[in-house]
Amino acid sequence: MPNLLEVRDLSKQFTSAGGPFRKARSMHAVKGVSFDLPQGRVIGVVGESGCGKSTLARLILRLIEPSGGAVNFDGDNLLAKSPSQMRKLRARMQMVFQDPYSAIDPRYTLTRAVSEPFEVQNVTPEKPMAEEVADLLEMVGLNPGLAASYPHQISGGQKQRVGIARALALRPSLLVLDEPTASLDVSVQAQIIGLLEDLRTDLGLTYLFISHDLSLVKYFCDEILVMYLGRVVEALPDTAAPARHPYTRTLMESTFEPDPKKRRLIAPLEGEVPSPFDLPPGCAFADRCPNASALCRTETPVLSAETGHAVACHHPI
Amino acid sequence: MLNVRDLGVAFGAVQPLSGVSFAVGKGETLGIVGESGSGKSLTAMSVMGLLPLSGGRITGGTVEFDGQDLTKLPERAYRKLRGGRIGLITQNPMTSLDPLQKIGPQVDDVAKLHLGLSDKAARDRTEEILGTLRIPEPALICERYPHQMSGGMKQRIVIAMALAADPDVLIADEPTTALDVTVQAQIIRLLDDLVKERDLALVLITHDMSVVAQTCDKVVVMYAGRAVEHGPVEAIFDRPRHPYTQALIACIPRGLDEATRLTGIEGTVPTVVNYPSGCPFHPRCPRAEAICTTARPDFSVEGDSAAACHFAEVADAQPA
Repeated sequence: MPNLLEVRDLSKQFTSAGGPFRKARSMHAVKGVSFDLPQGRVIGVVGESGCGKSTLARLILRLIEPSGGAVNFDGDNLLAKSPSQMRKLRARMQMVFQDPYSAIDPRYTLTRAVSEPFEVQNVTPEKPMAEEVADLLEMVGLNPGLAASYPHQISGGQKQRVGIARALALRPSLLVLDEPTASLDVSVQAQIIGLLEDLRTDLGLTYLFISHDLSLVKYFCDEILVMYLGRVVEALPDTAAPARHPYTRTLMESTFEPDPKKRRLIAPLEGEVPSPFDLPPGCAFADRCPNASALCRTETPVLSAETGHAVACHHPI
Repeated sequence: MLNVRDLGVAFGAVQPLSGVSFAVGKGETLGIVGESGSGKSLTAMSVMGLLPLSGGRITGGTVEFDGQDLTKLPERAYRKLRGGRIGLITQNPMTSLDPLQKIGPQVDDVAKLHLGLSDKAARDRTEEILGTLRIPEPALICERYPHQMSGGMKQRIVIAMALAADPDVLIADEPTTALDVTVQAQIIRLLDDLVKERDLALVLITHDMSVVAQTCDKVVVMYAGRAVEHGPVEAIFDRPRHPYTQALIACIPRGLDEATRLTGIEGTVPTVVNYPSGCPFHPRCPRAEAICTTARPDFSVEGDSAAACHFAEVADAQPA
């Protein structure tokens, strides 16, 4: 399959303006991220809060302007596009947001919420709008009878389905899913994941799936990128590949098995993600890593391979 | 320590909670599990005596704590218990701390109110508790404001507040739902250690069966304001007898291979104004038959566990 999306050395540096009480400082939210997403595949991006995974999603859609690197979408270099060209292209790449409670305007009926993409893109649907909306609602497993409802009248899981229906309205080829189930119950999460699987098969969609839940990513995705403080620290070519980076290993060990017999003494990762503003030299994970050596504190490890199973660690497992 | 019998709660004419029973002893962890809207948090609120604040009232049953029935306790006496001998850890650490007050005073207040400690003694106690919760440099943290801390750290502060008055019972309402998996693992480990070290009785409310499997000794599964299955954690996971419990376990993606499809539970939790007749789960149940729509199932007891399903025995007969 050809690559639908090619990301090369994508970076974003944020600067906070100084003031009377503090100096201006800067941090890399995303640094040197590269990957290929072939048509029809699902790549998962995992990491803790603040690792840059949501920023990465927004950079790819150019909702945030990257500071460096390249994004190719179906052969088009996105970073060279003008705002109006970009807007046209966005019809083919859509995003589903984390919080369905704030992603839909509370004063819009579901009909208006789902038909808004057509207005914005100035597209006339093939069928009458009411029919189109009913089809979209049905596609995401909602009763078309809900079309006149307002967001406050439906549940969180239903709202997320509306978010998905909106994203699908213009028949995109790429869907960026930014923690689409993080604010939902596990039972509803399972419904939404099942729906996304069906839609992928039925519509031939390609997904970039952002999540902090490694076990969910392992279930749902074909390939996995593990991010820590803005960098990809490990790229797993398939979900069965054993973790080689100590951070990935820790993420795997932090998830619980739904079986009391597999209960284990968790040795949780001590400490917290350091502030990205003043990172120490060397590997960003060194302070929390059980295998860290002197080398790790002086030299930043680079991803070992361009393709296949790549790991950015001086002492991989 | 805490013994809830046949608890019922009403708001005006609607009855969102009925017939809820459970017991939890010292050094024991009880999980209350179910989807949003199944009545888990309402159960916690009833035990904490917080119902009158939101216009609800207890219509039946007893909440026995250390031998006394809390449903008959006057508000003044309840105040001594609440936050004192019964601690509460709320779901959202981002909103349960006062953003305008430093951490130190917020935690101090609990010990000052419930233990009558002086400012100085309360602060010493706060720093000691923060230390046991593995918070680095407690004295420094006391001078910080909530916005200067991460979500996991704030949740630890909320736990510290719940522990400050040395409670016997701790009720944790979805303590890790808003947190990253790594931080969730830290907090769960911390609660586990606290139960053992302090001989606490912990009531852990969650929607995630994997959290239950990791920490609890006993489980109560709730649906539409009722307990539908309860028992020791091994029994519940080995042989879940209620279809709802089975469905909740099947929602966890852990360890599934790609061939197994994550199914979820079709439909949504009914709201209190339209609780179904008969077995409340029947509209979503794959096994429902005519009897389920009319007759409410009684608990079918097997060993230490019990399931309220007309076909619980059928589940027993099938191979695991």
